[in-house]
Amino acid sequence: MSSFFQKLLWLRQRSDKEAELREELQFHLQEEAEQRQEEGLTEEEARWAARRELGDVALVKENTRAAWGWTRLEQLALDAGYGLRLFRRNPAFSAIAIATLALGIGGITAIFSAFGAVLIRPLPYSDADRLVMIWDDMSREGRPGHMPTPAEWLEWRRHNTVFTDIAATQPGDAALSGDAEPEQVPARKTTANLWSVLGVTPLIGRVFTEEEDEKGVRVVVISHGLWQRRYGGSPDVLGRNITVNDSPYEVIGVMPREFYFMPARDIDIWMPASFPAWMRTNFTWHDAHVVARLKPGVTLDRAQESMAALSLQVTEKDFRGPHSVVVTPLRAEMAGKTQTALVVLLCASAALLLIACVNLANLLMSRGAARAREVAVRAALGAGRGRVIAQFLTESLVLAGLGAVAGLALAVPAMRFLERLVPETMGTVRLALDWRVLAFSAGVALAATLTFGLAPALRASRLAPQDGLREGGRGTAGSRSHWFQHSLIVIETALAVVLLTSAGLLLQTFQHLRNTDLGIRSEKLLTFESPLLRYEDFDRRMAFVNSQLESIRAIPGVVNAGATSRIPLTVTDQATFYLLAGQSRDRVPDQVALFRVVTRDYFPTIGARLREGRFFEISDRRSASPSAIVNETFANRNFPGRSAIGARFKFGQLGKEGYWYTIVGVVKEIREPGIAEQSKPAVYLLHEQTDQWSTKGARPSGIVVRTAVEPASIVSAIRNAIWSVDKSQPIWRIQTLEQIVDRQLSTSSQSTTLLSAFALLALLLASFGVYGVLSYAVTQRTSEIGVRMALGATSRDILLSFSSRGLALTLTGLGIGLALAAMTSRLMTALLYGFQPRYATAAAAVSLVLLAVAALASFIPARRASRVDPMIALRNE
Amino acid sequence: MRPDAPSRVELLQGTLDLLILRTLLAGPAHGHAIAKHIQRTSEDLLKVETGSLYPALHRLEAKGWIAPSWELSNKGKRARFYRLTPLGRKQLAAEQSKWEAFSRAMALILNPVDPEAQ
Repeated sequence: MSSFFQKLLWLRQRSDKEAELREELQFHLQEEAEQRQEEGLTEEEARWAARRELGDVALVKENTRAAWGWTRLEQLALDAGYGLRLFRRNPAFSAIAIATLALGIGGITAIFSAFGAVLIRPLPYSDADRLVMIWDDMSREGRPGHMPTPAEWLEWRRHNTVFTDIAATQPGDAALSGDAEPEQVPARKTTANLWSVLGVTPLIGRVFTEEEDEKGVRVVVISHGLWQRRYGGSPDVLGRNITVNDSPYEVIGVMPREFYFMPARDIDIWMPASFPAWMRTNFTWHDAHVVARLKPGVTLDRAQESMAALSLQVTEKDFRGPHSVVVTPLRAEMAGKTQTALVVLLCASAALLLIACVNLANLLMSRGAARAREVAVRAALGAGRGRVIAQFLTESLVLAGLGAVAGLALAVPAMRFLERLVPETMGTVRLALDWRVLAFSAGVALAATLTFGLAPALRASRLAPQDGLREGGRGTAGSRSHWFQHSLIVIETALAVVLLTSAGLLLQTFQHLRNTDLGIRSEKLLTFESPLLRYEDFDRRMAFVNSQLESIRAIPGVVNAGATSRIPLTVTDQATFYLLAGQSRDRVPDQVALFRVVTRDYFPTIGARLREGRFFEISDRRSASPSAIVNETFANRNFPGRSAIGARFKFGQLGKEGYWYTIVGVVKEIREPGIAEQSKPAVYLLHEQTDQWSTKGARPSGIVVRTAVEPASIVSAIRNAIWSVDKSQPIWRIQTLEQIVDRQLSTSSQSTTLLSAFALLALLLASFGVYGVLSYAVTQRTSEIGVRMALGATSRDILLSFSSRGLALTLTGLGIGLALAAMTSRLMTALLYGFQPRYATAAAAVSLVLLAVAALASFIPARRASRVDPMIALRNE
Repeated sequence: MRPDAPSRVELLQGTLDLLILRTLLAGPAHGHAIAKHIQRTSEDLLKVETGSLYPALHRLEAKGWIAPSWELSNKGKRARFYRLTPLGRKQLAAEQSKWEAFSRAMALILNPVDPEAQ
């Protein structure tokens, strides 16, 4: 505080001192003049003599002020003011320089913030780096990371030597009713040790015990979100009985706000897994997530090795043959593809920062050379070398400062966009600015600004002012600095080419994904879930599904409605083995197909197309020989080159008691797995004909509605229609098919968008660079051009000579860039979703664009050169 | 090459400071009077540049060797008078003996005494 007042005091003293100095020098002049008059000069002459004797008053004052010892700050303010004035006078230069800096700084700051949030920020578990997930390696079935079975979990937990403990969770959605509007919430069944494996404790209450898990006691732990939303955040929720799937459960604990776990951040209810006896010995019921904590000192590799051996032993008697397991770090599972996307984007933003610095260096050097004359003038007017350097320093600082501020202004909205890149498996993230990165990138930019902003000042201030002042004097930049500037251009062009090519590859992949035939007409198709856990009895369920669909069809604006056990593109599970008529049973292990239970209107509603045969019809009734529809992949695999119609296969129960299904139609591939996934064989069964076998989990709870109006506008009408049939029936996951597609493509589309944006900016900056250097060369060499033209060179010669130089630089950069891009594209394999984009196409497109831009960037200054009037150019000599 | 302004000040600094301090030993004086006194006393051999004088005065003032005060000159005008402080007196003594040693050394080298003539 005291130093602040001291400064204030100084400021007052400063104006006093300034006045005193003025008076002191004034007195000196008068004294001198009077003395001269006494020596016999006229009054006029004496005044002039005194003035001459004193010399440059401004300089005297300046030197005297320097003696006061605290003027540096004032000079800084002066220079900063001068710098700002210069920016105003040369807005194009300043805008480009600041924008360049802002892009470089803002880009990397925003990306790194996302990078840190997804890949560095600690997960909400104790010692999360010791947590791993275990997956079945079913490569033979095309599932290298398949979900394990609860039976395997039991064996692993009993026999493993590398983990302190292993926990398992299973899907289990919950319909809440009774105490408020019926609501369907995401739930998860879990073994009682999940909490101790993760090392988390509830916010209030407790979690369930092993004993409660084994005995199947009806208790639940709820999420912070559900507690706040449905129970008002009141602590007396503990011990309350709530209705979950029509059964009473006791709430025993509430998790903290920041808690979340695989597979989604929005799970609201955790209930005991209580695996039934049959599940404990069934090694084909793959629906669990298994998480384990490494024992101290055990590495991931050792765990992998040990668990693979254990798994082969455990599954030795599996009729499909033994399989191994894959052990992966929990964080990698949670980050998923986002990890690669972020790494690629971080590299891209680093490249952009580099390009920005290179470009800035070029700009500053060109401008510094052009300002040699200004420096000379200031030196002639008495500015010391230190003073000139200080001024350039301050200008650079002002530039870098403004750039950093603009970069910050850019980073904040960019971060809001990037928040959507955070995978759904992770907790909601509000990205915070990473100040260290901002400081780092601003520091890099500052270093570049200072290095290249000062170089011209150092060089120019060494020159004798008369050289600098002479019009058309020899250029200040020698061939060495040309060489240097040219390398900078090549570097930034090469980096821009790498970014452009990578963006091209991503763009091709994205196009490919976007254009994938879904087998569905996706516009105006609303989907939602109407859970059927409360409809155990087949006849009741049939009646409910039918009247529910009827009531929806009665809504104005609805064209048709149907139901399926799994909405396309959302989940890949629900698969089983099949056996074709006449096949031997040992073929079974290789024959896995997805199966979906659908209603009769399902195919017409989604707009599916037939390859052969027919869809389900009224004539398909409950019978001992049900019909089935298969997809093309199923037909091609099992009946290559012939019709599948009329063929029979067994499904589910393969023994004597199983039923034979007859194929009545082959449907064009409907994208059941995600867009980017391999297509899989699939069979579709009619709900009406599934009375003969247990259809646990294969009930047509997914509703699809084809509308003539905007789908969002009829959501509440649908809800009311369903409540008119069953007032306790919740519906959820309401979304249009287009939204599902968008979400699936979000990582791809966002990384493509961002990388493309970076690449275009890089192209822009690189072309600025080419333009800047050539313009500078033209300015520098005006007199040379004059001489050449006077000696007979045509303006075409000049045009060619200048533009060819720009093109030569660009071509060099292009070559290096393409070679680099070929290497870096391997980094992005994971983002290409197994798609093989054509590198040559991307490279060719990039080359064309770059050459066109570079040609333009070189042509403009080259044309200026060719229009030089030799008379004017030479007069300058 | 243009000689840099700071280096010129550097060159004169030691001596000019000494001359100012010595002049003020006689009593307080303003800038112009100091310059004239040095010029006159050195029989016009030394001419003090105004450009150096005032920075030097302010520097000495900042160091606390001389102290300013506004007084009336003998012609009745307000002038900034400088007087020697006790600290300045000490400095003068130190500087003067340093300078005397230096000039004696210079004299010995420039006008060597022939040892055989002794």
